[in-house]
Amino acid sequence: MLKADTSLGVIFFPAFDWAISPTHPEREERLLYTQDQFREEGLFDIEGISEHRPLFATDQDIMRAHFCFPSVDAICTESHRISAGGAIQAARLVLEQETRRAFALVRPPGHHAMKVVHGNRGFCNINIEAVMVEWIREHYGRKRIAIVDTDCHHGDGTQDVYWHDPDVLFISLHQDGRTLYPGSGFPHENGGPRALGKTINIPLPPRTSDEGYLYALENVVLPILADFKPDLVINSAGQDNHYSDPITNMQFSAQGYARLNHLLKPDIAVLEGGYSIKGALPYVNLGICLAMAGCDYSAVREPDFNAAALRESPETMETIKQTCAYVLESYVHPPMGDFEKQGEFFIRERKIYYDTDGILEKQREELKDCDQCRGLRLIKTSSSQIQPCLGVELPIDCCSACEREGYEAFNRRSGEFLVTQLLDQKNKQFRYLSKG
Amino acid sequence: MRIGIDIGGTHTDGVLIDGTRLIALAKVPTNHDNLLESINQVLHGVLAGQDPVRVRTLNLSTTLTTNAIVTGRIDPVGMLVSGGPGIAPKNYRIGDHFHLVYGSLDHLGTETSALDELDLEEAIAACRAQGVKCFGVASKFSPRNPSHENLMVAALGDQADFVSCGHLVSGQLNFGRRIHTIYYNSAVWRTFRGFSGALSASLKGFDLQAEINILKADGGTMPLARALDAPVQSIFSGPAASVMGILATSPLDEDLLMLDIGGTTSDIALFAAGEPLLEREGIAIEGRPTLVRAIHVESIGIGGDSLIQVEDGEVRTGPQRLGPCMAAGGSAPSLMDALNVLGLAAFGEVQSSREGLTALAAAHQRTPQQLAQEAVDAAVNILAGTIETLIRTVNTKPVYTIHEILEDREITPKKLIVIGGPAAVFRTLLASRLGLTVIVPPLHGVANAIGAALTRTTSHLALTANTAQGRLSVPMLGIFRPIPRGFSLQDAINEAKNLLATDLEQAGVPIVSDDIQITQADTFNMVDGGYTSGKNIRVVAQVRPAVVARLDSDASAIRLAGQP
Repeated sequence: MLKADTSLGVIFFPAFDWAISPTHPEREERLLYTQDQFREEGLFDIEGISEHRPLFATDQDIMRAHFCFPSVDAICTESHRISAGGAIQAARLVLEQETRRAFALVRPPGHHAMKVVHGNRGFCNINIEAVMVEWIREHYGRKRIAIVDTDCHHGDGTQDVYWHDPDVLFISLHQDGRTLYPGSGFPHENGGPRALGKTINIPLPPRTSDEGYLYALENVVLPILADFKPDLVINSAGQDNHYSDPITNMQFSAQGYARLNHLLKPDIAVLEGGYSIKGALPYVNLGICLAMAGCDYSAVREPDFNAAALRESPETMETIKQTCAYVLESYVHPPMGDFEKQGEFFIRERKIYYDTDGILEKQREELKDCDQCRGLRLIKTSSSQIQPCLGVELPIDCCSACEREGYEAFNRRSGEFLVTQLLDQKNKQFRYLSKG
Repeated sequence: MRIGIDIGGTHTDGVLIDGTRLIALAKVPTNHDNLLESINQVLHGVLAGQDPVRVRTLNLSTTLTTNAIVTGRIDPVGMLVSGGPGIAPKNYRIGDHFHLVYGSLDHLGTETSALDELDLEEAIAACRAQGVKCFGVASKFSPRNPSHENLMVAALGDQADFVSCGHLVSGQLNFGRRIHTIYYNSAVWRTFRGFSGALSASLKGFDLQAEINILKADGGTMPLARALDAPVQSIFSGPAASVMGILATSPLDEDLLMLDIGGTTSDIALFAAGEPLLEREGIAIEGRPTLVRAIHVESIGIGGDSLIQVEDGEVRTGPQRLGPCMAAGGSAPSLMDALNVLGLAAFGEVQSSREGLTALAAAHQRTPQQLAQEAVDAAVNILAGTIETLIRTVNTKPVYTIHEILEDREITPKKLIVIGGPAAVFRTLLASRLGLTVIVPPLHGVANAIGAALTRTTSHLALTANTAQGRLSVPMLGIFRPIPRGFSLQDAINEAKNLLATDLEQAGVPIVSDDIQITQADTFNMVDGGYTSGKNIRVVAQVRPAVVARLDSDASAIRLAGQP
């Protein structure tokens, strides 16, 4: 009988009673066949692989990671709290050393949810990895954390949450944004002025298969991780690079996914997208679990797998190699971005579209250029649905001047903002203030 | 009247019960070389002066199959196993005649590669050459599609004395457990058949016309005729019988804990609203998990004879045992000796207990009382810790819906029922440590036989329906048939109840439909290419373990057979 070399806790939560809509890819059926495969394989009979239920993310858990406007309840249903709670359970298992690794196989996903949230983007409301990372730092102190996003879509939400945070290295491998939602994730997107080089984007051409994907992993991701030396490695584990995925154009396989996790050795994996629910997920999820547990995964393959037919062309391989060389160089010598400055603040003005909910957000971010700390951040945001709101973020190393200025901004009742939210990482204060 | 017999490792216990009254009980040593002799002795005891014709039911719990397996006295089994992508099937290897047959089905039951007939022929020929006559056939995902297993059974033809077929064992998915279950079922088939024949002959001598049932590990029974095909279901029925005995003497519908304290180990079971908690998938034997449904019993190495040791200044109790306690002539101080020293018990030679603890205490700079107290505390802590972990585990078991996360009732037992030799001694100790009401029922050490007598037949089935494929599957009954597109969850529930009731009726067990519980009823919208293609329906129905009567608490007039 099989035995895990590395103990693995799996939080399997298929949310069999939740869907965005009856025929949406995010529907009750999504993890049904994965459960069938797990049961038939007897995955949880393997010594060292255990199954756990999710915890439940509270308002405070979510407010450590996000500005939710007008309130947490307006953004989050119970399904989102449980999904984030699944990620928190994974972190708890690993940090309490109950299991060496953990995989939160939960839905709905989260990696398109940005720092500010007005609704659902790309099937995501709250960023379950970010809620988890902030929970880890709240309970176990400041840590260096690497998030490797292996979903086929650019992890634009997670990138946004950690854009200014030099303690979090974010690496996304994804299908080239010129060919797929959300249309971002280019190599020049490499972090804010205080965290330059801590965001890494590796766009891969359509029809990339096992060789090309693993080339990028071994030649870019692993060397960068070795340099960054994180305390924790998190795999934001989308399964939509699979050759049978209905909404992407890649040619990755279950063997490839297993090998990826074998090489990456993530402490925690969190499920993201992946919508080939019959042809891919049962095999990919099994491969990931076995690889994370250090078990033999050599016989895990799709019934219709054909390596020769899926292999990428020499031209595709050449493109991947060129991209990889460029990305690695820009980690070592990050080019100074073209940051706009007004007075002592770095300014970003953006429009963000929430495709699922049809919301258009207008946002102005002001980051103080402070030489004592990472700088106070003020985010003024409004949308097609809601009047202007203000988010005030004090970084973990916040200096007293930024702290004073932040609290002044939070407490100022000018009537300009419908709701103001405080996210004070230094003093661990997370709360709202409403107009009037 | 009902007779319950439990053949245990040391004793064979029997009771005769009339309605809710315990009429007679008997206890004899178990003769492992001749179980029938032990059964006959017990029957002589409980039937003395009674009219055997009035006995309607005889329920028997036996260690026959468990012992055959753990002592290796089993038949060789030819295993024909067909796997597929996933965990490599070689990892499930069991026995000396394990043969892989190429072929595969996927999770929907679709054939993804045909069964290799050459592999199959070679495997059967190899078994034949080695004189193997009992077989087990299993293919991955056979509950979704039995065709590969059926092909293997057909290929065996009349060369096999007995074949266990995977999809008939359980409708639940678990390839490894399916392989283990059919292996053990075929391995003990001949032994059980021999015993059954001899038993029937023997009972005729008593003028008994009762229906005979065999106890299962889930605390219920199966008719003897059914047991002949599924003897593996009789493993580990002893602890289950004790649990049912508790149920027959306890208040209804409460969360309860049961603790059975023995000499070497203690067993802990949990009841949720009066129902014993079952293993999620099945019980393990020889470290191999099976699909045999069973009451979850937590066994820990604390008992009256648990050895007391002092290591690095810390007092430990159990899990080792070096023979009996000193009060019963043993050579090393044990938990029961500590209880004697503290005056909590007065068992056997109390002076021997004192001498033993005094010597050990002196070697570790303690008074005998201090040592005894620390030893008892250590034992109570282990018992309490196990109980607390069990409750926590049950309340945090994996669930798959938001509804269950938000609405699940927490199981919070307020009462602990303690049975076994030193039960009374632990009453106050456990009550104060756990904050529970502790009850020690007067069961005369035959809770197991009482449970056997009063338990009823249990059964279950799993039904799946896929309206996109237009197919209904009830693997355990071998039913795979077409259904209309409009087949609904309610249709599936009705069908499951009907099929379960009909099947039990055919086995001679009439039931009312209220006895059937639906433990799972899910329906999933299946979507292909953006359009709804059908429904995927899963239903599990069961007749749960329960007792047919609760015993009168007044048991003063009971006669212990074999004593004046």
